[in-house]
Amino acid sequence: MASSYPPPFEGTGEVKEGFICPLCHKDLQSFYQLQDHYEEEHSGDDRHVRGQLKSLVQKAKKAKDKLLKRDGDDRADTGSYESFYYGGVDPYMWEPQELGATRNHQDYFKKHRAARIDHYVIEVNKLLIRLEKLTSFDRTNSDVAKIRAIEKSVVPWVSDSDVPFCPDCGNKFNIRNRRHHCRLCGSIMCRKCMDFVPLPLAYKLTSGTRESLCIPGSPGQSQAPPSGAGASGMGSRRGSLSSLSSVTSMLEEKDDEKIRCCHHCMDTLLKRQQKLEERDHMPDIVKLYERLRMCMDKVDEKAPEYIKVAESLNAGETTYNLDSAGGLRLEVQKYYELIDALSKRILTLGMKDDPAPTPKSLHLQKMIRYTATLFVQEKLLGLMSLPTKDKYEALKEKRKQEQEKKLQQERLAAQESMRKRQESEKNRSVATTNGEVPPAPKPPRMTKAGGWLPSADSKKTHSELKDPLLQQIDNIQSFLRQAREAQRTDEVAMLEENLRQLQDEYDQQQTSLAIALSQKLAQEENLQQGEIQRLEARERSEWEQRAPAADSRQPSSIWECSLDLGEPVAGYVEEDKIGEVTPKFERSPLSLRAFPALAGQEESPPRLRSLGGHVTPPSSEGPNSSSLNPFEEDSTPTEEDPSNPFFEDIQEEHKEVSNGKKEYNPFDDEEDNGGQEEPAATSLGNPFEEESSETSNPFTEASGDSPGVSTNPFEGDEDAGALADIDMIEEELLLQQIDNIRAYIFDAKINGRLDEVELLSANLRELQHTLQEQKKTH
Amino acid sequence: MNVTLAVKQYVTRMIEDSGPGMKVLLMDKDTTSIVSMVYTQSEILQKEVYLLERIDSQNRDNMKHLKAICYLRPTKENVESLIQELRRPKYSVYFIYFSNVISKSEIKALAEADEQEVVAEIQEFYGDFIAVNPHLFSLNLQGVARGRSWDPTMLARSTQGLTSVLLALKKCPVIRYQLSSDMAKRLAESVKLIITKEYELFDFRKTEVPPLLLILDRSDDAITPLLNQWTYQAMVHELLGLNNNRIDLSRVPGISKDLREVVLSADNDDFYANNLYLNFGEIGTNIKNLMEDFQKKKPKGQQRLESISDMKAFVDSYPQFKKMSGAVSKHVTVVGELSRLVAERQLMEVSEVEQELACQNDHSSAQQKVRRLLRLPGVCELDAVRLVMLYALRYERHSNSALPAMMEELAKRGVSEKYRKMVHSVVEYGGKRVRGSDLVTATDAVAITKQFLKGLKGVENVYTQHQPLLQDTLDQLVKGKLRDAQFPYLGASSLRDRPQDVLVFVVGGATYEEALCVYNLNRSVPGVRIVLGGTTHQEVLVLPTVLTTVLTTVHTTVHTTVHTTVHSTKRY
Repeated sequence: MASSYPPPFEGTGEVKEGFICPLCHKDLQSFYQLQDHYEEEHSGDDRHVRGQLKSLVQKAKKAKDKLLKRDGDDRADTGSYESFYYGGVDPYMWEPQELGATRNHQDYFKKHRAARIDHYVIEVNKLLIRLEKLTSFDRTNSDVAKIRAIEKSVVPWVSDSDVPFCPDCGNKFNIRNRRHHCRLCGSIMCRKCMDFVPLPLAYKLTSGTRESLCIPGSPGQSQAPPSGAGASGMGSRRGSLSSLSSVTSMLEEKDDEKIRCCHHCMDTLLKRQQKLEERDHMPDIVKLYERLRMCMDKVDEKAPEYIKVAESLNAGETTYNLDSAGGLRLEVQKYYELIDALSKRILTLGMKDDPAPTPKSLHLQKMIRYTATLFVQEKLLGLMSLPTKDKYEALKEKRKQEQEKKLQQERLAAQESMRKRQESEKNRSVATTNGEVPPAPKPPRMTKAGGWLPSADSKKTHSELKDPLLQQIDNIQSFLRQAREAQRTDEVAMLEENLRQLQDEYDQQQTSLAIALSQKLAQEENLQQGEIQRLEARERSEWEQRAPAADSRQPSSIWECSLDLGEPVAGYVEEDKIGEVTPKFERSPLSLRAFPALAGQEESPPRLRSLGGHVTPPSSEGPNSSSLNPFEEDSTPTEEDPSNPFFEDIQEEHKEVSNGKKEYNPFDDEEDNGGQEEPAATSLGNPFEEESSETSNPFTEASGDSPGVSTNPFEGDEDAGALADIDMIEEELLLQQIDNIRAYIFDAKINGRLDEVELLSANLRELQHTLQEQKKTH
Repeated sequence: MNVTLAVKQYVTRMIEDSGPGMKVLLMDKDTTSIVSMVYTQSEILQKEVYLLERIDSQNRDNMKHLKAICYLRPTKENVESLIQELRRPKYSVYFIYFSNVISKSEIKALAEADEQEVVAEIQEFYGDFIAVNPHLFSLNLQGVARGRSWDPTMLARSTQGLTSVLLALKKCPVIRYQLSSDMAKRLAESVKLIITKEYELFDFRKTEVPPLLLILDRSDDAITPLLNQWTYQAMVHELLGLNNNRIDLSRVPGISKDLREVVLSADNDDFYANNLYLNFGEIGTNIKNLMEDFQKKKPKGQQRLESISDMKAFVDSYPQFKKMSGAVSKHVTVVGELSRLVAERQLMEVSEVEQELACQNDHSSAQQKVRRLLRLPGVCELDAVRLVMLYALRYERHSNSALPAMMEELAKRGVSEKYRKMVHSVVEYGGKRVRGSDLVTATDAVAITKQFLKGLKGVENVYTQHQPLLQDTLDQLVKGKLRDAQFPYLGASSLRDRPQDVLVFVVGGATYEEALCVYNLNRSVPGVRIVLGGTTHQEVLVLPTVLTTVLTTVHTTVHTTVHTTVHSTKRY
């Protein structure tokens, strides 16, 4: 990863090396010359110094932010990397295209439609009102003349003499081709162009309006007509034409069961009827489809959750319960089954109906089924299986070992860096004791980074051990010393503040370095063991961790300050203890070394060192994911990065900070209590006293009696529950594999890959066999 | 500036606007290909679009439970079909999107047809072009010219297409055109007119350096489309025919059923995306690696599943394996077929001579080689004609021209008269008389030195010596050195700085070789983004259509009229 991002400030100006005055950028030959120069030239303008230092700190911060945010805008980074590499940008890498120009005609359209619709609605309503009038009296018992009179009263009839030809077909009216009036609009047409509204249809249409006006869904009228509205209505018309009306209508044109009307009115009414029907009608496919989508949404929601859990479990973590994960898995699987079943039903929908579905709807059904299959295939594959109980235990064990190994590596890396720091420190301290004596030649590493120039220090915030930040710290320390000598208290305070911030930065750098190193080693190992999957899980949790770590920085530092008073020495205690456990005694002087200028001062700087460090536990632990996996923490406390001597302290702090995560971990409280008691006890004594480490330390205790077994209720639960369930899970797993393979066979068959089908069916047989054996054993 | 994404964004927006539920996408002939270039079937299925229908198809059923998304070009026929559709709606609700500017009167007509109030949305989404690659688009028009001037309908269509690209990319450009081409000028003016008329639409955020639209004419460089290409995309296109990202492999001997038609899309095929612009040799190596990779992962035939973990591993890896096997068999088939065709048509030899014709200046050797190839039986008819065309273009005015002799050879080979006449048509289309730039011989001192140096250095790859003229033009353009006398600005505005966003449009079609050259320019020149477009990108490379394109532009032969009529019936 580290190699893939671009050098942050590549080409932003020349980089000066050597002893360069941070204010005037003048190159002095040695450190003390610089110091002299500084005192002579710039001692007056301390405001300037402050600004300078501030900008320095800000730059360091910026560089850090850049590193932390990096995963967020990875894409942009690679893009700029590309562009850096080629000069131009690959068209495939061009920045995302925004939506192009659009223009909306909605308003104009609606304006014109509204005018039209008004007209249309009036027409329809007029027809419906007339229809209602025409159907409201008892047709069968009234005589022809009376009906005619009523009909004529509804709408004035066009007089016969005005219309010599049928307006629709143009035929001339005569004795044989008689005129007919539309009862709905009064117009005239010939027999051929005539239409009839069957009474049931008329009732239905008018009832629709009536109902919508009064009680919605009153069953009385609405039930009868819909039963045969469309089809039977048409049928009745046809029937009456052939038998009854052919005779009667010839004689007296009495329309018992239908209302004579023209094509146009009929057309309008039919449209209206269709609309009415569609309003209430919901085809089966829609109902099924809605359920299908619901299941898919559920899967989209649950599957990631499950995957997270399963990954964690497969990595041997103890954050989640194996049983509940199994339950989740079952749930998700149930949804898959449901999706499968539903889409199958959609596929076969209407197959057996008499009028077979149209080819288009069949196609639609097929496509829905296809989509569902794709969905299941795609998502189901992501569903990794859970480890069995035994395996899970093995995984946990393995993970623990790995963490220990990693810890060792981290320790090594840290020691390395410590040693280097110490070396430089030795040189330094010689210089300090000698006061103004020109210093012995510095180790080349020291000068190489050219850290005096403020802009240069942010350039290599990572990767370099003797990085500019460290130099800057030294630098400020020397300023501080001078300031103190000069009795400038305000400046001292300011410088201390700056120093603190810089040390923060430095600590973080160190730990991230150690992480990088250990990660690399751990990765190699993992590769060898073929544990790629686990690695992924770990990396993910780590990244998840990093983001909150960055966020929590601000609030925690506030908290830190308040805590300072209560337990200022805890850090020292723990540090010394570690020194015993891992016999690296040079670390003890080291902590002194880190603040030589402040040795006699109050505790605040070391505390602040730990403040800087306290952000690191999540990252230094890296994949251990302390918050996700609280049990791990107490079982292996030594996994903490020893480069940070205050790690215990930090750990506590971190827990305090991550209060929100407590629900996962009932032990947090316990530990916190322990942690608070302990420093209280020790704070009385000399902070540097080694014996204080013998006080009860919950962390060491926990590590001592291999935790989780006795103290972890979850673990216990799991033991009991999982033992009972283990076979079930096994079977479940088998069944699922069988299902999967069946799906593949189906797929392969469709694609005509016979060799694959063979292979798959062989596997299927194997699986089934195993399943049976399993069953037999119980 | 990414044209593929620009269209995809439009389509995605349309689908999302319509909300959840089953959907049908109603399109016309053109929008079908526009959409199919940016969306695959499975992608669009995931967005609940289950049916794709043509607005003019008669056998659509009533399906009131579907929502209809209409994506149509604003043609008269489409509006008429839509009016009919709205009168008797087959779907519950309509979301209407036109791919270009539509007139108010047509909207009114639609509004009046919508008595059932089924229209929920009516908008203009300017995806009126075919996006081939992020930097390459085409309008898919053939036979745009009549003689040396525009076919009026084609001019209108090209203007629409070009303005829609501008709108989709949100660019309001300064326009330059090739002075020697009347067609380029006409198109430039026509585009300018639209920009002025629809000034509200073109009101985009001003950039420091305004974007540039450069309009060129194919006739200035008639040589490039006549050369055989060796990059994957271009070869697939030229030898197998790449149509809307699909290749038809049904002619391949012994092809299996599911490989009859394969889709090659850089969007979801990594191998293709990575090898698009690599040459044939490199692809050979890469495909070998792909195979080896695959062999490693392939489950063994006798693989026993001893334990549950074995099975789990198998089940987990199976889909990946299957996907990979699909990709492998596809590319192996395609590359296999390509190399078969290369061998069959002796393309290596042909290409070598082509490149020599295009890039070197040795008349006697060139004509000897051409004539030797003409006598080879393996060289196919089209390649033979192509060679003679190249020769005719290259040594048009050579005192010692062997063209008559070559024409005889062609006749002897039994090349049909139709093809033989095209040689003259090509010269008329892209000969010296027509060209504005110097395609073959360098005149100024710089160019001559350049050529000389190139000769000294020797040739890296004989098959890819040729650099299209466009390369030079664009080189000068991005350096701010393109001569105003040759490529004047339209109107008063001109660009003082170097251009940043450049749109190049080639009347008469762009080629894949030019697309490659633009791709490389984009990658090598910082701060410049170039998009290439043409009236066509596809058929111009397939020889028969090159020739018909050429034919339709030159009114000399009997066939011209035949082809013109063919094309005019195809017009929309």
